[in-house]
Order: sequence, then C-alpha cells, then structure tokens
Amino acid sequence: MGVLLVAALFLAIGLPGVSAQVPTLTLWYPAGEITQTTLPLRDPTLFAPFEATARVKVEMVALDYDTMQQKIFAAAAARNVPDILFIDTSWMPGFLKEELLEQVDPAKAKRWLAAVTPEIVELSDYGKGTMWGYPQMGIDVYGLTWNKQHFREAGLDPARPPQTWDELRDYCRKLVKRDATGKIVRVGYAIRHVGHPHGVVHKHLWAIWGAGADLIDNPNALRGGRVKFNNEGGRAALQLVLDMLNVDKCTSLDFPDPRAAFLRGIASMQISETVSIRARQPKEAPDMPWTTGWGMALPPARKAGDKPATLLGAWLFAVPRGAKNRDLAWRAVEWVNSEINDYTLARKFGLTPRYKTNWQKEPFKSDAYAQALLKMAPYGRRLPINLGLNGIMDALGGAIQKAWHGEATVQQALAEAERLANKAIADAAK
Amino acid sequence: MASMRHSARAVLGRAHRRHYLQAYLFISPVIVLFTLFRIWPSLQTLYFSFFKVELLKGRLTYVGLQNFIDLAQDEIFRRAIANTLIYALTIVPVSAFLAMILAVLFSEHFRLRELFKAVYFAPMVTSTVAAAVVWWWLYNPQFGLFNSVLRLLHLPEQPWLLSSRMALPSVIIFSIWKTLGYNMVIYIAALQAIPTMFYEAATIDGAGPFQRFVRITLPLLAPTTTFILIYNTIFAFQVFDQVLVLTGGGPAFSTNVVVLELYTQAFQRYRFGYASAEAMVLFLFILGVTVVQYFYSRRYEVAY
Repeated sequence: MGVLLVAALFLAIGLPGVSAQVPTLTLWYPAGEITQTTLPLRDPTLFAPFEATARVKVEMVALDYDTMQQKIFAAAAARNVPDILFIDTSWMPGFLKEELLEQVDPAKAKRWLAAVTPEIVELSDYGKGTMWGYPQMGIDVYGLTWNKQHFREAGLDPARPPQTWDELRDYCRKLVKRDATGKIVRVGYAIRHVGHPHGVVHKHLWAIWGAGADLIDNPNALRGGRVKFNNEGGRAALQLVLDMLNVDKCTSLDFPDPRAAFLRGIASMQISETVSIRARQPKEAPDMPWTTGWGMALPPARKAGDKPATLLGAWLFAVPRGAKNRDLAWRAVEWVNSEINDYTLARKFGLTPRYKTNWQKEPFKSDAYAQALLKMAPYGRRLPINLGLNGIMDALGGAIQKAWHGEATVQQALAEAERLANKAIADAAK
Repeated sequence: MASMRHSARAVLGRAHRRHYLQAYLFISPVIVLFTLFRIWPSLQTLYFSFFKVELLKGRLTYVGLQNFIDLAQDEIFRRAIANTLIYALTIVPVSAFLAMILAVLFSEHFRLRELFKAVYFAPMVTSTVAAAVVWWWLYNPQFGLFNSVLRLLHLPEQPWLLSSRMALPSVIIFSIWKTLGYNMVIYIAALQAIPTMFYEAATIDGAGPFQRFVRITLPLLAPTTTFILIYNTIFAFQVFDQVLVLTGGGPAFSTNVVVLELYTQAFQRYRFGYASAEAMVLFLFILGVTVVQYFYSRRYEVAY
C-alpha cells in the first residue's frame, strides 16, 4: 500500500514535470467573424501533425479583434509576447516602428515569392523581397456582390454586373425600391458611411484607386511621403456616391451596414469582402445561394477601358521579436504555410490556396467560386505600410463621412483630410 | 510625583504610537495598492509627457515641452476638447436638475414608488458597454425603437448616431439616462436629511410649494448639489466607454473626446509621450474646473 502511495505521488509530481518539458508555442489570432481566414485556426487539431513530429504543443488563443493590437503591444512591453501572431496588416506600420516583428529569412522569402500567385506576392513583398510574415490562406478580396433576383425583377441581366461607374448609377436607379410614401425601402447600392473611419475607407478604396488617386505617393515607404487623394480622381470618387445619394436618389444613409442590408434583401448591390458574404449567406440568406442567388465580380471601373482596382484584405502569420521559442515558432509558421498544407487546409476549410501549383489541382481548378476569386485577385492592392497609415485612414474616412453627410463639399472635405493626413505622416515619422 | 507624571506620559505616548502604527498597518494595503495603481502611473505619465517614448525599444528621448506645443497646434485634439466640453457642460447640469426633480417627486408617497425608484436606478448598475450596445440598436435609423416611435407619431425620422450633427447629442442623451439614477439616489438621501420642521414652519408662514422648494429645499441641497456637480464633472471629462461603443469617435470626429483621442494616440499610433501630454492636460483641466466649482458652490450653502 505504501509503495502504491509513493508511486502515485511520484506520478502526480513527475508527470506534470515531464509534460512541462514539452515546449508550448502560443499563437494569438482574432476571435469571431472578423475574417474567415481564421477558420483553420479555430480547429484545435490544426497543428497536431507538427506537434507530434516537433514534440511541441501549439496553443491557439483567440482574442477580441478591437483590443488585440493593444494586447500585443502590452505583451511585448511586458516581455511576454506570444510566439506566433496572426495579425491584420494595417497594424504593421506601428509594429515595424517599434521593431516588434522579425523578418522572414531572405532565402526562404525568395523561394516563397517565386512559388505563390501574383496577388500573394503583392501581399507578401514589402519592397525588394522583404517579408515580415506569411499572408493568410484564402484570397480576401473586396468585390461587388449583387442580388440576381433583384436584377431579374428590374429587367437587368443577372449574369452581368455593372462594368463602369455610369452603369453602376444606372443599375442603382433601376434597382431602388420605394414604399407608398416615397421612402426608400431597398437601395440599389448600399454604402458604408459610419462606424470606424478605416472601414469606411476600405469600402471605397476601389473608387479612389480606380479614379487614379491613392492614399499615399509611396506605399512601401515606412516614413515620410504625402497623400495623393486630394486631386481630380479623389474628388470624382467621393462625388460618385454623392450623385447616387442626391441626384439619382437610389441609395440612402439609412442603410449603414451594407453586408447586412445585402443579406437581408434590402440592398441589391454592395462592395465589401466577398469571403464574408460567402460565409454569412448560408445562415443569413439561405434563399440566396451562390451563382443562382447572388453574384460576385470586380468593382466597376471609372469608364470603359479603365482597369478596375480593389482592396486585398491581408492578414499575416508573423513571429515577434522576443518570442521565447523563436526557432520553433518559425518552424511552425513554415509548416502551416508549406505547399502541402496550403492545399490540404484550403481544401478542408473552403479557402483558396496560395501556391501556383495548388491552383492546378482539384477542386480549385474547376470550382467556380475559387476561379472567380482568382480572376479578381490580380486587380487587388494591399494597404500601404506607412507609419502614418492610421492617421491617413482616420482623416480620409472623416472626409468621406463629412462629404456624404452634407457637412462639407467634397473639395473642402478632401482639403482638410489632406492637411490632417500629411500632418499625421510627419508626426509619425518623428 | 513628577516622575510618575513623566512615566504616565511616556506610557500614553507609546500607546498612542502603537495605536497609530496599528491604524496605518490596517490601511497600508490600500495605500500600497493606491500608490502602485494610481499615484505611480500618474507620476510616470507626467514624466513620459516630456519624452518621446518608444516602449518596446526601451528608449526615452527628452523633448521638453514639444509634446505640449504639438498639442496646442493639433486641431483634432482641439476638436476633442470642444466635444468633451460640450458633453460635460450639457450632461452635468441636465442630469443634476432632472435628478433633483425626480428626487423631490419621489419624496411624496404614492403607489409603486419603490418600483419606479428601482427603474430609474437600474441603468446605474448596468454595464456601460452592454447598455451602449443596446442603445446603438435603439438608435438604428431603420430598425431602432426611437425612429419607430417617431414614425408612429408621424414625426420625421432622425439619423441619430449616423449624423455628425446628431451623434454627440445622441451620446449625451444616453449618458443622462445612465447617470440619472445615481444622482437621484444622492438627492433622495439629502432630502431625507432636511428636517420637516422647516417645511412646517414655512407652511405656517404661508409659503406655497414652489416657495418652499426655492427657499428651503434648494439652499439646503446646495452641498449635495456641489458634490454631484463636481463628481459628475470629473467623470464627464473622462467619458470613453459609451463613445467608443456608440460611435467610435465619429462620424468625422464629431464625437471624438479627449480620453478616446489619447487612447488612439497611445495604442494605435504608439505615441506614448504625446498621449501622456494629453492626459496631463486633461488632468490639469479637471483639477482647475473642480477647484473653481468647489469654491464657487460654497457661497450657496446655507444653515438654518
């Protein structure tokens, strides 16, 4: 009996000691539906094969998106940073300023950039082959989505979305619906004009870029530079929606959440992340399935013959400086982003692959949705990396809101935004 | 005899010292925690406000008053101060006035009085964030309760939080609803402390209800009003939760307030020194307003 007791005591003390020798890698990612690209990270068995071969435990921790950036910073300041981060690339300027992230090994970066598709190169390369992490699985592109039934009712071809700004306005006029009192009950095109100013800018960048304007003159410069949106293109981009509001009267400020409005059937068209519509539609709009119920395409170009532009949403697997298990962390990141896992995980979670070779394999080769995304992705651009990015987005988002709310003319709003944004760039560079 | 008196004094002195030592020992945990989590961070903030702070690199670069000079030229910060002032100057007197009226009403006995008191106090015990999320939906122009009621009454619907002009008033309405109950309870307690003989004497002298309110209730509530005004002002200047949830500071910076602005500067722009300077300016502002309020309010205190 005494021997049994001693043995039990030994096991109780010894076992935790044994398991404590297996290092634990901590990975932080944003919780909830902020992005569908976190789907693989919600699977607790994601790293199981890697854990078995590397004799390591990978602990995946979901954090609230709105406070995640702050928590990462606080953890780094406390010298207790997680080993792997899955981060929004709009946070990168601040992280780079504080030298929080480790650069990907240049040789590995070169191999990666040669093996992946062009839009993934766009998301990975921060200038001269510099990589600060590996971008997410799954193309996250901003596209136009439209309700095909509404198109049919309005006498429009459900397979043909608007190709130009003029067509967008024309379709919008035909699709809008009013009640007996003349109040709009369904907008032809839903606009995002409230909430975080960054979100407002994200959903209108297609027009700003499409008109030849830009957020900043050098998107890859960390410091310095000047904004490029207070010009004819920027003014035209803002004026487009103003005309739809006040001249065409086919949209309204009363439909502040374009995606929700689209899925509820009270908006016929909207532009935002297509993966979000794809993920939410089965639950929120089961009567509007992909291909027969709703369609997806690039946002319209300014005029016929112009090249459309859109935003590529980007997330990054990164290893922070000060990670306790740095080498293991890089091995884990490289493992999950390997060619074989890229194919396996994309297939398992309904995402799209990143390696060129994986696009030649089924189901991606013949899947209509994946191929539609692949066609759109080359027109996508990522956000600039400037330290003043937050200030630029705050200022431009504020300008868009002021102009569309009728509190300033487009010229006044953009002039003020230019002044504030250039100051933010200068302040951030100090 | 003298030596006996001297010994007695020494014994008493030791007893006093022991007494004080025990007292300080008992309150030392609170003092330690207060120092660690209030005084030390405040002093550190003051220190940081004179530096460019790069926390992760562990680097502090002395910039003198440059952060404060930049603040003076920062139009977004000036706008945040203006918004905060408008917010505080509206919510403090309105909330205090409404609370006083409610407290006077509740001093009368009527059926379900306690239930109504609980209803008015309930917002105070609700989480500000949770309540703000609910109010965000109440303010929704399409599906929200407020516009539904306006539609029923054939009144024009309002954009509420979606309009730069209406967003701040909408936040103010929420905040008044949130703080009303607390102020009301304070006033109820103060009203109960007013001796009834004053009212009886005034009634005998022919004073009507309004005169009794103006000549007796109001002056005797002056200390309570002073407390409520100061307390609410301090918290009004530090408003953050409801603004973050309801509007995020928008649209177009129309509800951006000082604490939200310093949060943005610190945790999104990583300008900790600059944010510290903003915090210092806010602190001095609140201190100044509180001191002025305190001395100005005291002249209205009476004793009968």
